Amino acid sequence: MAVIPALRLDGVSFSYGTLPALADLSFSIAPGERVALLGKNGAGKSTVVRLVAGLERPDEGTVWVGDWDTHDAAPEQLARRVGSVFQHADQQLFASTVRDDVSFGPRALGVGAREVERRTDDAIEDLDLAPHAAHHPYDLPPAFRKLAALAGALALEPALLVLDEPTIGLDGALRGRVTRALLERSAAGVALLVITHDLTFAAETLERGLVLDRGTLACDEPLAGLLGDATRLEPLGLVAPPVAALSAALDLPGRPVRAADAARELARVARGRPGP
Amino acid sequence: MKSLTLEGATFWYPATESPALREVSLEVAQGEVVALVGALGAGASTLLLVAADLAPRVTGGRLAGAVARRDRSGIVLPTPWTQASGMAFTVWDEVAFGPANLAWPTHEIARQVDRALERLELIPLASRDPTTLSGGELQRVIIAAILAMDPGLVLFDEPAAELDAGGARTLWRLIRLLAKEGKAVLLATSALDALPDVADRVVWLEDGAVRAVGTPDLLADVAACDAGLGTSVATVWRASGLPGPYPLTVAHAVQRWR
Amino acid sequence: MTGRRLHPFTLLAIAAALPALAWILPAPAGGAATAGIGLALAASRGLRRGLWPAVLTAAPFWLFLLLLHDVPTTIAIGLRITTMVASFVWLVAALEPARLVEAMVAAGWSASVAYLLAATLSAVPVLKARAKRIVEAQRCRGLSPRGGIAARLRALRALALPLVLSALHEVDERALALETRGLVPGIHRTPLAPPPDPAVERALRWVLLLACLFALIRRFM
Repeated sequence: MAVIPALRLDGVSFSYGTLPALADLSFSIAPGERVALLGKNGAGKSTVVRLVAGLERPDEGTVWVGDWDTHDAAPEQLARRVGSVFQHADQQLFASTVRDDVSFGPRALGVGAREVERRTDDAIEDLDLAPHAAHHPYDLPPAFRKLAALAGALALEPALLVLDEPTIGLDGALRGRVTRALLERSAAGVALLVITHDLTFAAETLERGLVLDRGTLACDEPLAGLLGDATRLEPLGLVAPPVAALSAALDLPGRPVRAADAARELARVARGRPGP
Repeated sequence: MKSLTLEGATFWYPATESPALREVSLEVAQGEVVALVGALGAGASTLLLVAADLAPRVTGGRLAGAVARRDRSGIVLPTPWTQASGMAFTVWDEVAFGPANLAWPTHEIARQVDRALERLELIPLASRDPTTLSGGELQRVIIAAILAMDPGLVLFDEPAAELDAGGARTLWRLIRLLAKEGKAVLLATSALDALPDVADRVVWLEDGAVRAVGTPDLLADVAACDAGLGTSVATVWRASGLPGPYPLTVAHAVQRWR
Repeated sequence: MTGRRLHPFTLLAIAAALPALAWILPAPAGGAATAGIGLALAASRGLRRGLWPAVLTAAPFWLFLLLLHDVPTTIAIGLRITTMVASFVWLVAALEPARLVEAMVAAGWSASVAYLLAATLSAVPVLKARAKRIVEAQRCRGLSPRGGIAARLRALRALALPLVLSALHEVDERALALETRGLVPGIHRTPLAPPPDPAVERALRWVLLLACLFALIRRFM
């Protein structure tokens, strides 16, 4: 039995009025797959997110979320399958505590009270937000509000998470929390589509890269190969993240792009080398 | 010549018991780029507000210690959309907003605006409506807008946060250029990997106090790596168990490797 | 479309004169005339930006008036309120804040006062844009805009609270941010492109002022 993709775009074209944004875009994401949506500013990435969330309908082609055609579904229905976090999500918080705000999603979905609590607790735990759960969102620094907004999407327990620049404004430690939370969810079968210009974060968290260029798909391949290849990245307007560049420069076996993997390979190669 | 001098600066936000800055002493010379690094909440943003004479004057709160400024300052905040005037038809008008408020004559305004637009590669966007810009484009517009006011001391708070790779590269090159022109630059950033090529000195802030000051080599120290403030290359080197001193950049690593 | 080429002070004068005349002139004819002109002006900005918001905003007032007063009083006051609403909606749609600031500065007003007035008038589209973003985000969390009273009240809370909270929160940040752009009290800003103020318009403004005074005097004779 074939597995239904978590997300599939089929010949999707879209224009904002007369301004073309996407042209004949097709790709699919399997459950549990972790995909980075990359490209220069203005390449159409945010448009893809809006189409997947059901906020816009494609002019041509179809967007399938699981087996649902977004033409037939409103965003609040799609929320059962897709958790979206847009930029400036910290502006959408309104409850008097972080916990109340995170539980807004599952409550709106109509799941039972016990289930709401479980999902809320899990989401807060995953992002280490427990110390702040009882605070008013606006008493927290913007970075923690951003995490609270992400927790809100996690609490929906959707089959697909679509995130638009989730790490802007976060320091290294908080970025690590996001990476861990997303990897855990993905291991449980949740598909990820993440817009990011932080290629280091992409290397640590995601496995496949879709690069958009002026509304079309310029590239669709595993990040591991793509990120270390400066000749491929340049024309796409991307720069190799330092770990990938290091692996390529030192010709480490397997060309690892994640820090832990690179450290391991480095140690291994160093051990095997003759002394100075 | 020193553009900015802080001596034992301690700052409390209004109605807060513990200070956001503790006994910070720092100097930034004209022609120098100084970078502030640290965890979130370490005080970098507060330090920039004090340097810009916005804290405590506009934010409220209390400042102890001495702050001396030689030049007019300009600050680029980490939330560029709040700095937009909200009433410019075009990007050109938006950048001209600040110089107009300085009551400069129109020909001088035009000169500064055109120069700023060119430096930030914004000429193609000059007639665009600022409300239609993406986050990264708006950030570049605000940077241009502050530079158009020709400050002697330029303060940046996470200026590359919303920029893509190309935009960030342009920005770092521009910051070096500003220093070369004699401006003093103080910048808070979490883009540690860019600092070896951008900063002359790095100041490590922890809980509002200066923990260490040095050249960017500081970012390859054991202590920095363990605190999560090492460059990516230095962090990998340390994690691999290889002996120090750790290389700062890929280029250094390649040299070490041979 | 009216307003785009008129001087900002002329727009302000018309938007002030219409409601003034609505209250001064005898009801219901006076109110009907001014309300008619006001709605026509609002409609000139388009159905979506002008007429519809004017009608939607004025409607609840008519409802309250009907509950409190008899029909003639309702009509008299209702027409006056409609004039005020329609004039304001037209003004917000027609007046470009940048032009107002330029006009005020060219006329010698302090830049920060000019900015404050312009920012108040431009607050509406900014809040509308933000409200749209918040509605979208809440819908994507499962909030349905349909349903019974309870559901709609919940929906309103999920929209209104973040809108107000984030706007208020930003006020502080904004004040600080505008200082960074040199907008401090007491400055004398260089006008970049002062809108032209033809003699015809200046005359029109005087005529409007005199008309209001004349009507006021006639009313009390």
